Amino acid sequence: MKDNRSVIVGIFILFGLVILITTIFTLGGQKKAFVKSFALRAIFNDVSGLAIGANVLFSGVKIGTVKKIEFYGDSQVRVIMSIENDAESHIHKNALAKIGSDGLIGNKIVVIYGGDKTQPQVVKNDLLKVENGMSTDDMLVTLQQNNKNLVDITSSFKSISKKIDAGNGILGKLVNDPALGVKLTSTIDNLQATVDNFKTASLSGKVVMGDFERLSGNFKNPTNSINRIANDSVAYNKIVGTVTQLQNAASSLNKFTANLKTVSDRLNRKDSPLGLMLNDSATANSLKGMINNLQASSSKLNDDLEAVQHNFLLKGFFKKRAKEQEKEKEKEQEKSKGNIVQ
Amino acid sequence: MDKKDTQIDTQETVISIKDLKKSFGPLNVLNGVNLEIKKGENVAVLGRSGTGKSVLIKIISGLLKPDSGLVKVFGQEVDKISEKELQELRLKIGFSFQNSALYDSMSVRENLKFPLVRNKRDLNDKEVNEAIESVLNDVGLPQTINQMPSELSGGQKKRIGIARTLILKPEIMLYDEPTSGLDPITCIELNNLILKVQKEYRTSSIIITHDLTCAKITGNKVAILNEGKFLKIGGFEEVFSSHDTYIKTFYDYNFTENNKIYER
Amino acid sequence: MESTSKNSDITAKKKYLISKGIDGFFEDIYDLYQFILRFFKEAFSAPVEWKEIVNQCYQVGYKTLLLVSVTGFITGTVFTKQSRPSLSAFGAASWLPSLVSIAIIKTMAPLITALIAAGKVGSNMGAELGSMKVTEQIDAMEVSATNPFKFLVVSRILAITFMMPVLVLYTGLVGMMGAYLNVHSNELTSFTSFFISAFKSIEFKDIFSSLFKALCYGFTIGVAGCYQGYYAQNGTQGVGRAANLAVVFSMFLIFVEELLIVQVLNSFR
Repeated sequence: MKDNRSVIVGIFILFGLVILITTIFTLGGQKKAFVKSFALRAIFNDVSGLAIGANVLFSGVKIGTVKKIEFYGDSQVRVIMSIENDAESHIHKNALAKIGSDGLIGNKIVVIYGGDKTQPQVVKNDLLKVENGMSTDDMLVTLQQNNKNLVDITSSFKSISKKIDAGNGILGKLVNDPALGVKLTSTIDNLQATVDNFKTASLSGKVVMGDFERLSGNFKNPTNSINRIANDSVAYNKIVGTVTQLQNAASSLNKFTANLKTVSDRLNRKDSPLGLMLNDSATANSLKGMINNLQASSSKLNDDLEAVQHNFLLKGFFKKRAKEQEKEKEKEQEKSKGNIVQ
Repeated sequence: MDKKDTQIDTQETVISIKDLKKSFGPLNVLNGVNLEIKKGENVAVLGRSGTGKSVLIKIISGLLKPDSGLVKVFGQEVDKISEKELQELRLKIGFSFQNSALYDSMSVRENLKFPLVRNKRDLNDKEVNEAIESVLNDVGLPQTINQMPSELSGGQKKRIGIARTLILKPEIMLYDEPTSGLDPITCIELNNLILKVQKEYRTSSIIITHDLTCAKITGNKVAILNEGKFLKIGGFEEVFSSHDTYIKTFYDYNFTENNKIYER
Repeated sequence: MESTSKNSDITAKKKYLISKGIDGFFEDIYDLYQFILRFFKEAFSAPVEWKEIVNQCYQVGYKTLLLVSVTGFITGTVFTKQSRPSLSAFGAASWLPSLVSIAIIKTMAPLITALIAAGKVGSNMGAELGSMKVTEQIDAMEVSATNPFKFLVVSRILAITFMMPVLVLYTGLVGMMGAYLNVHSNELTSFTSFFISAFKSIEFKDIFSSLFKALCYGFTIGVAGCYQGYYAQNGTQGVGRAANLAVVFSMFLIFVEELLIVQVLNSFR
């Protein structure tokens, strides 16, 4: 009986060891502890709370972990990743690295992407390029700037219209034209609505910004003025069709509003340029035309911003109204052309 | 069984105790004990409960350390020798405990086997079994070999306890109250066993008891312990011819029918 | 017997440094220190009582296996069941395997095994050695030229110390199985995906720290049980007291150790 005991104890301990070893190997397999690996490096401006041991994904497949995170230079961060040898043949030298997030609470991970076959494979200790795309913060700052400028414009316009109302001389000519008065009022209303929309848009900006970020690379022509877009049906169609051009418009608006600000400031100053404008009927007419244009473009911008708020409905929203708007726009263009001709 | 048959070698002293003192805190249990035991000699130590009789044999076997004095067993001072030498010495000393102290978790066979296999590792199974059987025959309990201690009677336990010490063929036996708590017939059997052990194993013994019959039958000498000292050591008749009241009271309880010791 | 009863008479007359209770407490600490010191001295000196160690391993390991397995299984199942509602509230029921594996492997398996073993093995050691002490079996062993400390105490402490990690592995496995059964019956998770997500949040150091904890708990149970038993006094009452103290003492120390070990191990992370 006593001898049996040592057999039982032996079996008992053996099974315990089997459990331990199985656990270690399962765990090791999962953590890839026993897979041979090599190091890759990347230097980020900001790692957003990336932690040692975080996963490294390539095409959505885990290929390694973050081994070390250290400061580099003044404020940059060097991340050293341990990558499985098997993945070596799939990553090329021009592949990019970025910080992504994963899971419900958004654990930070490193995502390696891109790269093409024209470039050789990475080797040990290679430094991967890092894409520093426009961040959501940057986007929000731009939008905020737009908001401020619009508020300034509207307040300037308010003061102009007051002066026109109470003014005399050639200003009376403007005031005596009731159609122009109505248009001016509706322009101001539109601008107000636009400002409101911008406010809402920037609040819901977080939803939208994902798309903005993706498309921000597509900024093609930052010098476009909103005037040109409004007058050009081709450019307008582009706005309607793609978010890229919406982005474009937002940026242009920024410049445009800055210009408007300068203009309205000058108007307020009452010095020579204003006198010139007010004495010259042609100038008055073109001011009239400008107000018309502004009215048209701000109402369109309104639509755009509304669409931005429902960005996933963006395409449908504009498709539905594309033709309708085009007609309206054509009418307005005709009108404004007519006005200018007058 | 006549104790005159036993051979006492008066030349060879096995246990020699000189001026032994042992106290527990303020209580002096042994206060200058002197004793010599010759080879083959049985000494019965008599005394009241709590006078340190057990302490005496525990010191001899090295379970307790004396405060002062000389305790020599086979010429070695038990409190001075190394642990290893003490273990060697203990192989020659058998200790029969008052409560037999059989290992509860082991059968009689395992109880007897335990000291044997642990101290004589070169024995094979057959030799071990033979030794167990022969020692069980000596104590007259061969039928109990596979029983557990809890199944044995008090007398049987005592005898198995003695058998467990005999299996190592000791030269000295220390009996702690061998007859306490037993019926008279079992007492007789145990007394006979002690004599048999003395003769067949040629042991010298100290028998701690307060049973005068036991002391008279088993002891070649009787020593009376009182207040940490031996009042008297000598032959049974010699000691009990004394007029010391302490000794007389002992004697009267055991051997006088009508006496003045009871307050009735 | 006589001498022990005398002992207690004498201690009553002794003069105390502070008071009987407080002096006794410090004396206990000193005695325990001596006891552990003696354990290490004798554990590392020849000869090793292999046979008795194996015998004790059988007693404390194999004989405790069923008890800790059942407890581990129930713990795994119940813990999973009870955690589900709060995770489901966040729609995160798929996190159950990770949560359960962290709880079981890091804390519950060592702690529950230790508490069960303290109750079963610790009390057994206290009672067994205690009764051997008061019936002079330990003295009998000593006079038959066997070192009782080595034979009884060292073998028991070594056995429980080395069986605890093994028991913890079993408890962990059975506990995870219990959790798996519960998860499977509710979320229909497959065995493989359960263990993949269970191991996701576990690291090597978690397993080794659990095994280290188990070693400490085993040693604690062994020392507490054997110390109380080996120094038991005052007959059968003393035996009961020894068994009781062995359990109380070891359970208390286990919780203190849990706290300390977690603190120390966390500082290495």
